[in-house]
Amino acid sequence: MTTKRTFEQINKKIKDGKAVVVTAEEIIPIVQEKGIEKAAEEIDVVTTGTFGPMCSSSVIINLGHSDPPIRIQKAWLNDVEAYAGIAAVDIIMGATQPSETHGMFYGGAHVIEDLISKKRIKLKAISQGTDCYPRKEIETYINLESINQAILFNPRNCYQNYNVGVNTSNKKINTYMGILLPKLGNASFSTSGQLSPLLNDPKFMTIGIGTRIFLGGAQGFIAWEGTQHSPEFISNEEGMQISKGGTLSVIGNLKEMSTDYIRAAVFKGYGTTLVVGIGIPIPILSSDIMKYVAVRNEEIYTQIIDYSVPHAQRPSLGWVNYKQLFSGEISVQGKTIPTSPLSSYAKAREIAQKLKKEIVEGSFLLQKPIKKLPIKEKFKSLLEI
Amino acid sequence: MEKLREIKMVRKKMILTFPPKIVEEPVTYKLIKEFGLWVNILRAKIDPSNGGKLVIELKGEKKQLEAGLKFIQDAKVDLEFLKQEVIWNKEKCTDCGACVSICPVKALSLNKETFKLQFNYEECVVCGYCVESCPMKAIEVKF
Repeated sequence: MTTKRTFEQINKKIKDGKAVVVTAEEIIPIVQEKGIEKAAEEIDVVTTGTFGPMCSSSVIINLGHSDPPIRIQKAWLNDVEAYAGIAAVDIIMGATQPSETHGMFYGGAHVIEDLISKKRIKLKAISQGTDCYPRKEIETYINLESINQAILFNPRNCYQNYNVGVNTSNKKINTYMGILLPKLGNASFSTSGQLSPLLNDPKFMTIGIGTRIFLGGAQGFIAWEGTQHSPEFISNEEGMQISKGGTLSVIGNLKEMSTDYIRAAVFKGYGTTLVVGIGIPIPILSSDIMKYVAVRNEEIYTQIIDYSVPHAQRPSLGWVNYKQLFSGEISVQGKTIPTSPLSSYAKAREIAQKLKKEIVEGSFLLQKPIKKLPIKEKFKSLLEI
Repeated sequence: MEKLREIKMVRKKMILTFPPKIVEEPVTYKLIKEFGLWVNILRAKIDPSNGGKLVIELKGEKKQLEAGLKFIQDAKVDLEFLKQEVIWNKEKCTDCGACVSICPVKALSLNKETFKLQFNYEECVVCGYCVESCPMKAIEVKF
């Protein structure tokens, strides 16, 4: 594997306004026309993007001290409980936490979106009180400007290649994959396919801890491997390959983000979640890397899983590729069924384009990972002992 | 040879709101019998004390349809076209496509080039399935 360029060389070109950047969609016809080697000579960076529901998301807030001060034990923002067991005025609001007054229609994700929109948020906090923190309760209003740090911290985002959901039972079911109609009435999936960050670097050759990313409209970073990170490569007898299971933990400054790229969503019967827009630039360090970023929807496969089965391990009804999924219809057990993405391909394209623009204009430099992500990890279950 | 006259049929889908006073008047009967229109009732909600709402589709020659629409309005029935009752808030919509596979009449689809949502109001039967499937609450049905 010959090195075509280094991170340092790419960043110099970015600062000089000379970087050659395309998106993970635009690279496809370029490679088809010129081949991998020539494309790897010419292209410096390929940008990827995704905009989908990512439930494992949260914001860490430092509220600042009141007078007299309180060491918060329990806290609520707009009647959604936050976790407060970390020091006096640090709290964490999780995206899927439901409201105590609005059921499934308002939750942590809405608090996060309302904060970014600079809305006033009601804070209620209580404490048993200590000698040094005598206050036992406080009720007031905060907003994005009044608080100290507001750190978006998402333990598991960008799940690599999620499966397709279907329902073979006789009843409609409400899931985190949307509404699944009975008797294979429809199928849903959640990925940006050939634009997807981890599907363009499935072996984590360039993406790692410290990688600078586009996160919710701001520049953020990959903080760690995501929870449940367990990359897998599966092949079948027909030579089809599935790479899946990698995840990322990401971090960024909520105060720099935009509701164009971070939105609250409600899945009927399931609850609230945060839709997160992420874009990751892939440096073309070698032609091996170019081989992966040229991946097309028809080459990326995933499994069809029956969500009506109430077990941790659900049966697979076969494999399907993303060209078929994005066509609007797939065939499952001889039946033609309509498909719904849950991840917006239009927005993913917008993010990959925006990231490309920022790199070309010199405002986004690439960061070489400080530590690589593990590629050999097994996903353990919770056993009842 | 006899010249065959080509008759061009026009389709129009609408929501009729009947105030309580005229809820028992046979408006749809007259549209068929007197105006010769093909009438398809897609949804109906009738309550004699509060009035009623009908989602109907009318089909006929342009002149017949226009006469029928005038008759409806003269009868003091409130007439609205679908875009006013099935409201798609494009600001909230993120083109995620969750509604596409739920729609029983394929009125919703993602454009094959732009992947943006397309709403074909002419196919809509105001069932409301898209409303419950939308994670962004970008579709609202007033019916």
